Amino acid sequence: MQNLLSINNLRVGFSLGGKSIEAVKGVNLKIGHNEAMVLAGESGSGKSITSFAITKILPANARIIAGEVYFGGEDLLKLDEKALADVRGSSIAYIFQEPSSFLNPVYTIGSQISEVIMLHQRKSREEAGLAALELLQQVKINDTQRVSESYPHQLSGGMNQRAFIAMSLACKPKLLIADEPTTSLDVTIEAEILQLLMQLKRQLGFSLLFITHNLSIAKRIADRVSIMYQGKIVEEGSCAEIFSSPKHFHTRELIQAYEKIGKL
Amino acid sequence: MKNRALISGIVFIIALSCVAAFAPLLSPYDPAAINQDNLLSAPSSAHLLGTDSLGRDLLSRIIYGARISLSVGLVAVGIATLIGLSIGCLAGFYAGFLDMLLMRLVDVMLCFPTFYLILAVTAIAGPSVFNIMLIIGLTSWMGVARLVRAEILSLKEREFIQAATAIGATHFRIILRHLIPNALTPILVNATLGVSAAILIESGLSFLGLGVQPPTASWGNILIESKSTLGVAWWITVFPGLSILITILGFNIFAEGLKKEIG
Repeated sequence: MQNLLSINNLRVGFSLGGKSIEAVKGVNLKIGHNEAMVLAGESGSGKSITSFAITKILPANARIIAGEVYFGGEDLLKLDEKALADVRGSSIAYIFQEPSSFLNPVYTIGSQISEVIMLHQRKSREEAGLAALELLQQVKINDTQRVSESYPHQLSGGMNQRAFIAMSLACKPKLLIADEPTTSLDVTIEAEILQLLMQLKRQLGFSLLFITHNLSIAKRIADRVSIMYQGKIVEEGSCAEIFSSPKHFHTRELIQAYEKIGKL
Repeated sequence: MKNRALISGIVFIIALSCVAAFAPLLSPYDPAAINQDNLLSAPSSAHLLGTDSLGRDLLSRIIYGARISLSVGLVAVGIATLIGLSIGCLAGFYAGFLDMLLMRLVDVMLCFPTFYLILAVTAIAGPSVFNIMLIIGLTSWMGVARLVRAEILSLKEREFIQAATAIGATHFRIILRHLIPNALTPILVNATLGVSAAILIESGLSFLGLGVQPPTASWGNILIESKSTLGVAWWITVFPGLSILITILGFNIFAEGLKKEIG
């Protein structure tokens, strides 16, 4: 099967105080159509940076040293800023760790969702506003009108994350990249959000790249799992393979860590 | 609401704007009407603030002067804010070499003794109200530029800017729609303080004869006329001076209140 996304030998470096540090050291990753890929690893292993590099939304001091990111037959890393902006939010969308700080504090939820729609589709402000309400309904928000007119600081973290998911899915992306989207939420909300994501994935048919340090999430949602350690992918396989016969010592460490607290 | 500074500032600015807007209705006399029989008369019931050396009613001249002062203040600050905002955004957002270049330009501009620069330019370009607005605006944007740059530098590292990039917003859109609205508070406070600074510069220029030209009344040029009659007619010096003082105070109090309220 043709892959939706394939990352070849991606290397990303940071310049810190004149020194260059390589955070991602040659990552290869393939994601198929409709596949849920979980990229797991400890903090600082380079998993978020890898995901940001896909559409080049890296911090200012980060630099892509080498690599290719093939998506729909073209290398995203070779596109200019304008062509990349067309891909971002429309074919590849993100959701992030701390929904409340990733939403712009000075705009209402509704207007932020409308913005994505108007950026990528020929729709008037009114049409976009109506579409935003529908999207909020899709992510299981009941009083859509009130939420749409609220500012991020007026809503809970879980509600903001739902709104953010609505925003990401506004243009029906082929790939949704979720960077630890439940880390800042409590356990019950986490379960709800995960359930919602997987249901939407079935319903809308997008591929998912889910980044987490939490292997119990990986076990719940993954088709395939990649384990990242110190800037490299050290093990990759189907969900069952990874959990039944982990090969790399770091994978075993991660699994043991969760077994100890009885989460797996 | 407890913010007394903000409320008194707002009340003052509204009052001043009304005075400026309804000047023809409020002033008891034509500000340019000369009355040979009534030179330098002291404040009385007929002329509340007295008359000047040509017999013109001082109250009417001060009311019309408010128009000039307020419009010079607002337009000059508008120009300064627009320039400062553009330069600050470019420098802060793109950083690197462009930032270095623009900030050195700011440093160079700050090195000029601005008032003398304005004097020189008005002397060459001619003193009209429009020229004065333009020149004050063109020489007072540096503070805004530095302020905006600093704001943008810190704002652009915030998560929601990364999110804006991730939804496909272009640089231009990110600056205009996501960065500037979040940086508005300090810009607004700074602009309010800028209005009083501009009014002060205009008064100074008019006082030196390079500002608004007679017979158009401005607070500064009423003061210059008072110079020769200071010994016999205190009111021509005191009332325009007080108007300037109170206006500056009003805008500064408003800025202070604004800073407390939203800062």
